[in-house]
Amino acid sequence: MKNDIIDVKNVTKCFGSKKVLDDLSFQVGQGSVFGLLGKNGSGKTTLIKSILGLVRPQHGNITTLGDDPWCFQESTKEKIGYVPQMDSLYPWLRIKEMVEYTASFYSRWNSNLVNELIEDWGLNPQDRIGTLSVGESQKVSIILSLGHEPELLVFDEPVASLDPFARRQFLKTLIEIITRRPCTIFFSTHITSDLERITDHVALLHQGKIMFCGELDELKTRGNLNLEEIFLEMTR
Amino acid sequence: MDAKPTKTKFHFQISASSGVPIYRQIMDQIKIQIATQPWDPEQFLPSVRQIAEDLAINPMTVSKAYSLLEKEGVLEFDRGKGMRVKKISSSQKNFGERQKDVTPLLKEVIVKAHQLALKREDIFSLLEKLWREHPHEK
Repeated sequence: MKNDIIDVKNVTKCFGSKKVLDDLSFQVGQGSVFGLLGKNGSGKTTLIKSILGLVRPQHGNITTLGDDPWCFQESTKEKIGYVPQMDSLYPWLRIKEMVEYTASFYSRWNSNLVNELIEDWGLNPQDRIGTLSVGESQKVSIILSLGHEPELLVFDEPVASLDPFARRQFLKTLIEIITRRPCTIFFSTHITSDLERITDHVALLHQGKIMFCGELDELKTRGNLNLEEIFLEMTR
Repeated sequence: MDAKPTKTKFHFQISASSGVPIYRQIMDQIKIQIATQPWDPEQFLPSVRQIAEDLAINPMTVSKAYSLLEKEGVLEFDRGKGMRVKKISSSQKNFGERQKDVTPLLKEVIVKAHQLALKREDIFSLLEKLWREHPHEK
């Protein structure tokens, strides 16, 4: 479909004899806030990496922003913001330097937004990355993914290390972003959390297969269960 | 309490971990507040963006609740101004239709009264009292 930002068709990925993604297909529509749920080891990170061209599946087709992830054009990469599960920051740089370094890769960079977020999120631009806590590093990674105002935001376990207060700030920032401009958000999580407040679509990944993919409201109405209950029920 | 409330504020309490979709929770709360509070016909509901930011929920969810309430005839959209409570005059709905709207609520009251072993007279006198106290009556 034309309006699909991510289109995954019959994708299979094996590491050795282990099948991590098993002939799975799903789409993410433009403007949706899409949650990928799954237990530890269910294949979430492999799926995200496949969508971004960081891992190459053996079978199937993936289209992200209308482009083939394995040979993304520069212009497509500029439209994507990605926060990996393990941060890829340089511990010897100060936050300020890390921001400048990241900004230099992009033709467009919203310094005002980045500086505002650094302040709002209680970070000191002069601090060295190496001295930050896991949660603070995660905040920096998130802020860096927003600077070039991407059309597609991909977060791998974005709230895992954030405290409840930081999670609220993160949510608030995402809401501001989706209110201001068209943006699709795709995130993975093993915990059902406050992200549920803004999620409109979910996919449940279990043993490399998609158990459910659709509107969260539909899923709730069907079973009268909350996401955590549904998740436990489906992955039992 | 303010004796003459001139402006009604809508309050929402959202639970994301509930089995009830968030848009449903908003719809129900708007309906209850319209039914139980004095509202000024000129008064508008908060904007989609404002509710989304206040409650930390997706703006699309608020839009969905608003447009469904508009379809149900509870709210009306005033171009350029926003959403407001729709005033239903007796001319728009006939007596039978209005009675039909209120019947399921009354049936619920009867069921609940039986459960709580309340008598018919108890309910009538309570309704009488609440009716008199309701701001629309003043």
